[in-house]
Amino acid sequence: MTQLTVHTRATPAGPVIELSGELDNDSAPDVRTLLPRLTLLAGQQLVIDLTGITFCDSSGITVLIAARNHALAAQASIALAAIPGRVSRMLHIVGLDQVFPTHPTAQAAEAAWTPPTPTSE
Amino acid sequence: MMRKATDGGGSENRDDHAAFSALLEDSAEDLYERAPCGYLSTLLDGTIAKINTTLLNWLGRQRGDLVGRKTFSDLLTVGGRLYHETHFAPLLRMQGEVSGIALELKTADGSRLPVLVTSTVKTGSDGQPLLIRTTVFDARDRRAYETELLRARQEAEREREELKRLNATLQRTLLPPALVNVPGLDVAAHYHIASTDKVGGDFYDLFPLASGTWGLFLGDVCGKGAAAAAVTSLARYTLRAAAVYDPDPVAVLSNLNTVLNHEYNGHDPRFCTVVFGLLIPDTERGGFRITLASGGHPPALLMRADGSADYLPTPGGQLIGALPDAHIATTTVRLDLGDTLLLHTDGLTEAHTAQITDGDRYGDDALLDFAQALAPTTASDAVAAVRDLLDTFGTGVDDDTAVLAISVPRPTSEGQP
Repeated sequence: MTQLTVHTRATPAGPVIELSGELDNDSAPDVRTLLPRLTLLAGQQLVIDLTGITFCDSSGITVLIAARNHALAAQASIALAAIPGRVSRMLHIVGLDQVFPTHPTAQAAEAAWTPPTPTSE
Repeated sequence: MMRKATDGGGSENRDDHAAFSALLEDSAEDLYERAPCGYLSTLLDGTIAKINTTLLNWLGRQRGDLVGRKTFSDLLTVGGRLYHETHFAPLLRMQGEVSGIALELKTADGSRLPVLVTSTVKTGSDGQPLLIRTTVFDARDRRAYETELLRARQEAEREREELKRLNATLQRTLLPPALVNVPGLDVAAHYHIASTDKVGGDFYDLFPLASGTWGLFLGDVCGKGAAAAAVTSLARYTLRAAAVYDPDPVAVLSNLNTVLNHEYNGHDPRFCTVVFGLLIPDTERGGFRITLASGGHPPALLMRADGSADYLPTPGGQLIGALPDAHIATTTVRLDLGDTLLLHTDGLTEAHTAQITDGDRYGDDALLDFAQALAPTTASDAVAAVRDLLDTFGTGVDDDTAVLAISVPRPTSEGQP
């Protein structure tokens, strides 16, 4: 059993949540309660970096959905980075691969972000 | 006074200390007699040679009745005496010391006094044992504490049993008590409970719809416990009601999606993956036409009469309840004589196996191999085989697993050569 570790950092493109360990029924609430405390501006992009995830079950999927709900409510976008093979298969089965933009790394996700164009006067 | 002693010189300091101690403990005899523990000296055969006042008071006895007349063993309860003879005394002889043994003393008024006993053997200058010195500590508080611990533990165990019973009851209300009898169809199901502590979120049902058609579903709610059970219950009843209203499988799952999505959104989303099937009997050719709609659920397995087996993929179907407009994918197949359709939840494919395979989970490929080896089969044989398979995983199944199978029986042998 590896505990879940959660690390967040801010980038100009928006916050990045780095998760590693097991994302399951026990650890999912840790991430969900963190979401409202994130600074996420309209037009920014919330990135969830899954590099270190060793296990993810259906409760883990709820975390991704909660994060998406949070981003949409803030008029921001969401992207997943470095999805492990097993999580990728799971996202495919539940049809969420069509919902989340994905990137090989958090850096790539950041680079893909385009700042919102200022509204013309 | 302390400051003065500290400030003073070496010898003066020691003298002060000695005087101070002597003032308080002026008598070694009094220290022995009225110590806060019992003292007892016995000869090697156990005969009491010396006993202090504290212990006499605890026992409610006179010195003259005990010294030279009774043995240490005589002071013990029957059980204690037995323990003393078989364990305590032999250990003492071997090691020269025994400490912290819990025994019970009999007092003059017949009550029992729990004590902790420590004994050492005093030897003479020639190394030969002379007598046994014993200290006796009052253990009434400790015994009360242990009794309380035991009671609390028994209470906790009772509550755990009660919780298990409640969970089992709740689980049963989420599943049909028995599957209905469908003319021309064999039906079997199995629910494997992975944990008795938490209600799982798998569900299934099979029920009649209008004009001879049948509805069936099997699904898996994310999470475990009471909150998941509430979603399971809502999903099950919504599916049945929606199917009566409009049996089109896409419409049924869309309705469920709307209900769950309105009920649960925001930071604690709840969803399920589910397969809903509409069975229409083919009155001319026999068998059934089945339309399966999938909301992000692992694909069903079709095991044909000819011995082939394959998944029935429904690509693009999305889980139910998480997105306002989930896409629901469908597939339609014929279930002919001798064909078997198996629906399962991912507790089966996510089970840990003894063999080291890809990520040590059983997996979709292994399940397909299993189905290919099994085909042709029947609903009851397929479910029995899955049960056996789950048994071989043992505790490797860490999520609940539901399986539901239907098959069209071949005609009985009458009329055939």
